[in-house]
Amino acid sequence: MKLITAIIKPFKLDDVKTALNAAGITGMTVSEASGFGRQRGHTEVYRGAEYTVDLVPKVRLEVLVDSADVDSVIETIVKAASTGSIGDGKVWATTVDHIVRVRTGERGVDAI
Amino acid sequence: MGTRERRERSDQIDGELSTLFHDALSRLDITENNIALTAVGGYGRGELSPGSDLDILLLHAGLSPEKLKEFVNAFLYPLWSTNRKVDYSLRTKSETLTAAQDDIKVTLGLLDIRHICGNANLTDDVASSALEQWQKEYKKNLPKLRASLDERHERAGELAYLLEPDLKEARGGLRDINSLRALARLDVIEVALDRVAAAESILMNVRDALHETSQRERDQLLFTEQDKVAALLNYADADVLMLEVAKSARAVDYTASRTWDRIDRLERRSIFKRSRPVGVAKGLVAFDGELAIDEAYEIESDPALGLRAAAIAAQRGLHLTVDACVDMASQLRDLPTPWPRQSREDLVTLIGAGEHMIETFEALDQEGLIARWIPEWSHVRFLPQRNVLHRHTVDRHMLETAFRAVALTRKVHRPDLLLIAALFHDIGKGFPNKDHSDYGEELIQPLARRMGFDEEDVETLALMVKHHLLLSAVATRRDLDDPQTIAFVLAFIKDAQTLELLHALSIADGEATGTTAWSKWKAGLVQDLVNRCLAAMSGIAPAPQLELTPEQVEMAESGELRVLLTKRDENFVIEIISPDRTGLLSMVAAVLSISRLDVRSARTRTIGSSAVMTWLVALDAYAPEPTQEGLHSLLAKAFDREIDINKRIEERINNYRKYPGIPTAPPVVIATNDLATNATVVEVRTHDKPGVLFNVSRTISKFGVDIRAAIVATLGAEAFDTLYVTDLQGNALSEEKAKILANQVENYLLTL
Repeated sequence: MKLITAIIKPFKLDDVKTALNAAGITGMTVSEASGFGRQRGHTEVYRGAEYTVDLVPKVRLEVLVDSADVDSVIETIVKAASTGSIGDGKVWATTVDHIVRVRTGERGVDAI
Repeated sequence: MGTRERRERSDQIDGELSTLFHDALSRLDITENNIALTAVGGYGRGELSPGSDLDILLLHAGLSPEKLKEFVNAFLYPLWSTNRKVDYSLRTKSETLTAAQDDIKVTLGLLDIRHICGNANLTDDVASSALEQWQKEYKKNLPKLRASLDERHERAGELAYLLEPDLKEARGGLRDINSLRALARLDVIEVALDRVAAAESILMNVRDALHETSQRERDQLLFTEQDKVAALLNYADADVLMLEVAKSARAVDYTASRTWDRIDRLERRSIFKRSRPVGVAKGLVAFDGELAIDEAYEIESDPALGLRAAAIAAQRGLHLTVDACVDMASQLRDLPTPWPRQSREDLVTLIGAGEHMIETFEALDQEGLIARWIPEWSHVRFLPQRNVLHRHTVDRHMLETAFRAVALTRKVHRPDLLLIAALFHDIGKGFPNKDHSDYGEELIQPLARRMGFDEEDVETLALMVKHHLLLSAVATRRDLDDPQTIAFVLAFIKDAQTLELLHALSIADGEATGTTAWSKWKAGLVQDLVNRCLAAMSGIAPAPQLELTPEQVEMAESGELRVLLTKRDENFVIEIISPDRTGLLSMVAAVLSISRLDVRSARTRTIGSSAVMTWLVALDAYAPEPTQEGLHSLLAKAFDREIDINKRIEERINNYRKYPGIPTAPPVVIATNDLATNATVVEVRTHDKPGVLFNVSRTISKFGVDIRAAIVATLGAEAFDTLYVTDLQGNALSEEKAKILANQVENYLLTL
């Protein structure tokens, strides 16, 4: 089992959700996040005053999947989140040892 | 679900407790003489909800601690094994009375004490002593009761306006009814308990149903329970249920407010003589922190009285008396269409008062006055919204938004439009099959026209209502790097001034909704979008200067002082043409101020060696009407220094300081160079007070620069003044000097 975490541009959330739903993934956790990567913060000029935006707003999306589905799900997310410009984000997967569905107590893959 | 069921439940428990009580007595060989079982609180009144605790008090006549311990174990043990929660205390009479002295909740509980079994004399004795103690020590007890109510209201909020309210603890809830009952038992004031009887029965039934559906003693009516409760009580749906709950809560809260009002008045009368009423505006007097209508005033003759009273009460932090609201509701005539300018400004002033606005607005609303002025409001009154993001009913959400908007008034050029749009942004809610933003646009247009806004403002308001969700939606769902996104926004919002207003409205709306709807994250995205849009716009042009008529130019060339006074509705238009001189604007402002004329708007401009000014002023209450000759001679004397203007204006400012005020946002002064006019534009945004314009213009003149033109606007209680200044050679100030000037003016305003 894997936890896929994606950091994407906020406006791409709807596209990614739609794509994941179409791929049969219905559950996910979404949170507001901010940070920067190679994109760094960018400098804005507003009414003559220059100010630096240190942290860029992003959306963090987490999905639990069966190990077998990892590649296809990552690909789905990457495709839907891509604009081709800097700051599109990152997707990664980590191994998950245990999953329990709180309501039923189901464990492992059944709880996904 | 009803009173009968609660009584039956209570009777049944009485029987069970009686049996256990007697069993325990006989097993332990204690005589019934020494002990009594009583019920207190709701159970004392014989009303038990399905999941309620059993509040019982065991009264004893000095049994030994060992014996008591044995008895309690024997009596209560069987109860503990059932699911009933028992809240018991074990006390002698004197212990009971001491506990009541220490804890107001114990006192209230004891007022409902009821004998169940054992020695009835013990119960009767405590019941009468507790009541006697409550009545005798009420002066000590009332502040305690009030503090506990305030603390609870603060914590639990208002029942009528919360979407998931606590039926017991919230303001207007069941505990407030208990307090009213206790106040009635004091026998010092009349308490209209009959006015809350129906409300109590509804709230109790809803609470019973909630206990039933949730299977526990929970008094908070969560979304998840509302449908079930509504079904159990045969309401059409959860919205109808919540509307009934809200109405009941308002009835309770209103009766409670009136009752406390009466108590306060009684207190004041007994402690010291009432302070003398002071006239504060036409037909209105203030005393002891309250605003009332002058007894001799003919309410029927003055439709504008209502909003004037509201504006003054809210701005001065005074409570509008209940009598004033009731009298206005029965005697006030409807406002003409369109509203007089002053009434529109009074509404803006009311909204701009922030915290005090909500209280004043509620008082007027309870007597149906708001619905008379703004019929559109009736539809959103108590309107629930089934949406996880929201906390409040639609009407309260709009009031909260307006409250948040007050803090943002310094960030926009038209604080009045911001406040009005904030108060009405969701006015289109609650119509099935209609998008609330679109329908809101349809509703706000005739409303704004009735209020007397000009067509341009009507359009701006309509746009703000229609697009109040635009910025948040675009910022979170569209690519801000894409020029198309910015073009999309600019297609709706053409100018920076409107964008600035819409941004402030988005912030106020978001903050009022709650942190789930408006996080720092979202605020940052919206700010980014706004910055990008502003960068694509041409910036905000300062207010345009006065256009002169050929007659004015001709008169200006004559070089004489001319004053022309004409009456326009309730106000006066004063045209002044005068040879220009250093400090002219501050002198004229001072003369108007000491003539007790409030400046509503003004435009002034220097042409050659003369200045042309048009002023729109309102006459202060109780001030004599101005005359053309009077003003002319006063101005001439001021120019010749025959009168000491500074002293007289100080007197007036000091006089005003005596009135209580409310906290207001600090002033903001911005100075920028305007290439088109080759002048420095100083924008002053501040809360309006007597002498503001005088002090601003005097500070600027003392700085050694010329005021070439001024555009003065009073928008409700806010002043927005634009001054074009140049150095003595007629050039714009250096950036550094402009900044220093802005700082000086701002600092000076802070000291006023």
